[in-house]
Amino acid sequence: MARVALSLLLLSLFPAQAQAYLDPGTGSIILQGIIAGIAVAWFTIKTYWYKLAALFGKKAPESLLEDDADNDPDAT
Amino acid sequence: MQRLNASFRDPSGYIFLHEGVVYRRVNASYATQYDQLMSSGLYDALVKKGWLVAHEEVEAASLPDHEDAHRLLRPEPIPYISYPYEWCFSQLKDAALLTLKIAAQALQRDMVLKDASAYNVQFIGHRPVFIDTLSFEAYEEGAPWVAYRQFCQHFLAPLALMAHGHTSLGQLLTTLIDGIPLETAASLLPMRTRLRSGLYTHIHLHAKTQQRFADAGDDTQPATSAKAPRISKKALRAILESLATTVQKLVWQPPKTEWGSYYEATNYSAGAADNKAALIGEMLATIDGPIAVCHDLGANRGLYSEVAAQHCAQVISQDIDPVAVESQYRERKTRGPDNILPLLQDLTAPSPAIGWRNRERDGFTQRAQCDAVLALALVHHLAISNNTPLSEIAGFFADLAPHLIIEFVPKADSQVKRLLATRQDIFPDYTEAGFEAAFSDFFEVSQKAKVSDSERTLYLMTRK
Repeated sequence: MARVALSLLLLSLFPAQAQAYLDPGTGSIILQGIIAGIAVAWFTIKTYWYKLAALFGKKAPESLLEDDADNDPDAT
Repeated sequence: MQRLNASFRDPSGYIFLHEGVVYRRVNASYATQYDQLMSSGLYDALVKKGWLVAHEEVEAASLPDHEDAHRLLRPEPIPYISYPYEWCFSQLKDAALLTLKIAAQALQRDMVLKDASAYNVQFIGHRPVFIDTLSFEAYEEGAPWVAYRQFCQHFLAPLALMAHGHTSLGQLLTTLIDGIPLETAASLLPMRTRLRSGLYTHIHLHAKTQQRFADAGDDTQPATSAKAPRISKKALRAILESLATTVQKLVWQPPKTEWGSYYEATNYSAGAADNKAALIGEMLATIDGPIAVCHDLGANRGLYSEVAAQHCAQVISQDIDPVAVESQYRERKTRGPDNILPLLQDLTAPSPAIGWRNRERDGFTQRAQCDAVLALALVHHLAISNNTPLSEIAGFFADLAPHLIIEFVPKADSQVKRLLATRQDIFPDYTEAGFEAAFSDFFEVSQKAKVSDSERTLYLMTRK
């Protein structure tokens, strides 16, 4: 609940967003605000963890989202 | 010119059919976004990967409906349109991952997916392809992902229900055209899914947050819907990563007992199976003209779809059993052939027409017109298990295709004996002569051949 309250506080600080043809849903937008920080933190920890693991010769798993467009082995 | 009903919601443009060719109109209001897609390198990158359907820009003046259009496009044709409720678990999962990968690629080039509908993905053979060229819009710094809820409803909720509940729950999509409401999914999912961080966040907490703010648009309350938190690009990317990890972790393991039984379920020898395959190949070879699309109905794991794939441009290999379809899809991905699309289809109650005015998503019989149909070891299931008169079955096939390769399985066959073992035989006309008489109203028999070492007969029939 504290997080929801925090997000409501955040809501009042930032301006309205773009017009979309899809209704994004208020709850869905707010949830993104709540999880944004956590997701970034988790992502950062993971990145550093793999960097650390790389020092010991462990290869990081490939991103499911395949960041590098130019080195995509699946490219046809 | 016929405007197709699948695309009426999006004001950016629509698709229409003209002289048998599908075109996509890009409205002037979407000009900036379309030009950004094309000039940013995003279109080229996605098409190169085979993720996005390729298109050609065509000379508008020669076509109807070109006035005020920004562009008219002719996309690469999709051989057969299929829908999420006809996909097996892994097909829906691959379509979900493709959508997220495209969203991430778009973000790298300062664009976002403005929707994440499962209907934006189609399969060409076993390969998922994103077909909505107008789904991209400019990324606005700080904006949250407008399609987040839709992605969870169209992909994550059904996948979670299939993996943690029952695979048949994917069929909920047949009536829920905008995906499974998260509140519904959360109430159906077992408790243990709350312990998984991804499912907890994107389904359970998401459902709760939606409920909490359900009335946010009411006049009586401050209009929170007009305000949105700022989501950095890095955070958006991290949310996409989180969704991808959550999807990737969902696994459906088909029951082992059923997996194995397909190899042993047939009651005829390896010799009979080889002979049957050879006869089907010969019959397909005698059909005049190219076979663009062939439906293999009751295909099981697609053994004979592979024979058809040598003679037809595309084979749509359909079965009622999700285990068989899942198994075949995995097999096609690893060893091909690439021109077979495995799909779920219950012929006793085929996919209905759904959506707005029942015209948004066509039913099976509206889509299944094709050049040839294979109906092998199927008639006894329709006639005996489903009590369908033979004349009805013949009429059904005659509606679908001019050429039919059909196998008659007589009462002497052990599979039919098994079906009749637990019920009264109320099928006096279920004989070879009765079968031929019923089909003669719709078809002429072009070839007839006994399958060696079995009780069965194969026919090549041509529609009258």
